[in-house]
Amino acid sequence: MARETTALSRRDVLKASGAAGAAGLTGLAGCAGGGGGGDSEYPSLGNYPVEGDEVVFGFNVPQSGSYSQEGADELRGYNLAVDHLNNGGGWADTWSDLSGDGVLGKTVTSVEGDTATNPDTARQSAQRMIDRDNAVMISGGSSSAVAIAVQGLCQEEKVQFQCCVTHSNDTTGPECVRYSFREMFNAYMTGQALAPVLSEEYGEDLNFYQLYADYSWGQTQQASMEKFFTEVGNWSQLESVATPLGTSDYSSYLSDVPRDETDVLVLNHYGLDAANSLPQALEAGLDQDMEIVVPLYNRLMAEAAADSIGGIFGTVDWSWQLDNSPSQAFVEEYRAEHDRAPSYAARIAYTQTMQYAAAAERAGTFYPPEVIRAMEGYEYDNAGLGSETLRKCDHQGQRDVLVTRGLPSGEQTEDRLLEVVNQTSRDKLGYACDAGPAAECELGEYGDE
Amino acid sequence: MSGDRSDGGTDVVPDGGTVTEGTAGGSGGSALAGLRDRDDFVVVAMAAALVVFPFLLIDVLGAIGEVIGISIGGYSGLPSLVLIYGIIVIGFNLLLGYTGLLSFGHAAFFGSAAYSAALFSQVVPSPILMVIVGTIVATLLAWPIGFVSIRRSGVYFAVLTLTFGQALYFYALGPGAWLTNGDNGFSGIEAHGLFVGAIPLDAQLIPVFDSYTVMYAFAAVVMLIAVWVANRIINSPYGLIFEALGENEERVEFVGLNVFRYKLMAFVISAVFAGVGGAMFVIHEQYIHPTTGLYWIQSGDFVIMTVLGGTGSLVGPVFGALVFEYVANVISGVTLPVVGSIGSLWRFVLGAVFVFIVWVFPRGIYGAFSDLGSRLLGGGSEESAAADGGEHE
Repeated sequence: MARETTALSRRDVLKASGAAGAAGLTGLAGCAGGGGGGDSEYPSLGNYPVEGDEVVFGFNVPQSGSYSQEGADELRGYNLAVDHLNNGGGWADTWSDLSGDGVLGKTVTSVEGDTATNPDTARQSAQRMIDRDNAVMISGGSSSAVAIAVQGLCQEEKVQFQCCVTHSNDTTGPECVRYSFREMFNAYMTGQALAPVLSEEYGEDLNFYQLYADYSWGQTQQASMEKFFTEVGNWSQLESVATPLGTSDYSSYLSDVPRDETDVLVLNHYGLDAANSLPQALEAGLDQDMEIVVPLYNRLMAEAAADSIGGIFGTVDWSWQLDNSPSQAFVEEYRAEHDRAPSYAARIAYTQTMQYAAAAERAGTFYPPEVIRAMEGYEYDNAGLGSETLRKCDHQGQRDVLVTRGLPSGEQTEDRLLEVVNQTSRDKLGYACDAGPAAECELGEYGDE
Repeated sequence: MSGDRSDGGTDVVPDGGTVTEGTAGGSGGSALAGLRDRDDFVVVAMAAALVVFPFLLIDVLGAIGEVIGISIGGYSGLPSLVLIYGIIVIGFNLLLGYTGLLSFGHAAFFGSAAYSAALFSQVVPSPILMVIVGTIVATLLAWPIGFVSIRRSGVYFAVLTLTFGQALYFYALGPGAWLTNGDNGFSGIEAHGLFVGAIPLDAQLIPVFDSYTVMYAFAAVVMLIAVWVANRIINSPYGLIFEALGENEERVEFVGLNVFRYKLMAFVISAVFAGVGGAMFVIHEQYIHPTTGLYWIQSGDFVIMTVLGGTGSLVGPVFGALVFEYVANVISGVTLPVVGSIGSLWRFVLGAVFVFIVWVFPRGIYGAFSDLGSRLLGGGSEESAAADGGEHE
């Protein structure tokens, strides 16, 4: 997979334009060239203008560490999107903005990087994609700390970031940036979607006990659960205990759970962590005395804990079982390629790439501020989750959330481990622009002010 | 060896060896050796290397990458990053390579300097002042940590330093989140540029060469200062005692020197270098996260870089920093024709390089180079020396 071969010449053109534009020492790299050459109608910004007949997307996913399996599925989604953007197929055929013949007449190529679920590694990787490979868009995630770190870099570099899996409130809350958009829902919405279902299922006035992974996501996740369980079901929290990210043995934490007082145990873990904590909770027999909830499911943990998830509630971003035409079109394409159903991580990766391409087509340019404006407040219903809006005030997707329940092991198939219990309408979820996490969000500059 | 020296007692052999080497070089070798002995040679050589380094790393490797169709070129932030880690491991090597103390907690100094520089930037966004503040904090922290840890040696010393480092890590991640922004990382760092913001750090140094940024020049200057200082220390009587400590601690004690004091000073000096590096890192990255700044793996990376590059030589560890960062940040993004994406395999690549170097060249990359150099130059001069000697006698 040799990447395109014109980088040097493009670099040379940039250099030349930089030399022409820079009056002396103080010319800012990348901002110096006046017109930049070619057909550009806007000044140079970030990696705009895109020289040559190819445009580079950077896919920055965890290829090592606790989220590596999810990263692999994200990459499958990204590569499928690139294939469809260039050659047609999938949503490229059904989205009116997309031609199936590249984006804005340019062929899409991609570069990959490993975030290693480490914020600094992820930033170095993104930096390399931006500086050396001239990527106009970076996408990735699977750890909110990583997504937050990389979107901060993208804001500085004036390169678009498309959040993949990141569920922390902070991503579009206090840490939000202008150059990043998130379609995935967040911990706040998980709380809003789960609390009514659970209080109906389990009753009111219960006691709950939480364990949470001690990092950005886990912290906001447990805070949101506390808020909504207390408000909606009038439940009361006994305690909320932090566990280090990457813990493999939860038995000491689990043995501290007071069995006779606790009605519901909330395990705010994700990926491998949840794949460890959930079976261990069942092994300790906690399910005999209380109900267990895993607020955010993913495929890895459902597979790893397949024997344990029967009857356990949680939320997911999307499910291949959804019966609507965008979802089924995507599932079909993915199945044809990889011979099994996609996880929701693959769909977000796919959607985020398509979404960026469509916004560039609507804007008619890769000039970042115009692409951002084409995406802000954009409403659509062609991504498999009904009506969605990319809200302008905090760049948070306003969309439905799926509440799921694990199937008993006898009813499971390779792909079907969870059943969708409820698709909570987006009208019942979220928060106003001046409330919740959004109140703390200041998006920052477009870069053309 | 002493066969042609009839007058040689056992005593004379080593002396004779050095003499022949000295005289032999009269034509070429000794001019070089003489230069090498001079204090400023290493700084001048370093300066020369720093001038071509980004060009080699970004443009030359990039061009080679174009030809072979594999992206192996560096990117504009990488040279500065290598220098910053280089500064840290030069200091770390003063401790490990010379004094023989293996610290597993140097991330504590790196990270605390990074965080204090980051916090200070919120008040005064001056890069130079940020470096000074970060270094002071790291130094002040090193004193008590060193005071406690150095009382034990070997693995106990390593574990004590590790413990202090990890304590800071957990503090930064949890209870100290009000200060460090915890797991979301500290961004919003303002470094306005050199000379009261007159020259932005991301500006190009020379208009046509975009591989050279002001940030790189800044890091290069700090690197030169670091090399000069380290060189002075090593070549001073004080530095000789460091080296003697590494070789035989008891002997140093018997001579009547206060071993504890010298060890503590070596520890603090290495922490100063780590502090400078930490502050530089935050200026360069404009971001710091507990995992990068304070986690024990970062301390381990310093050890790996140092051993990889070569302990016991002043600039050797810088090669280790170069190879480490290059593999971690460039090779990890390479896609090979048959193997596919390297991705997470970069650790295997680094591990393989590490095992190979340590196995074949126990003195590290720098040791390998100098062995090679002396085999090419020195080998020849030894022969000529023997020939010379033969003629004279």
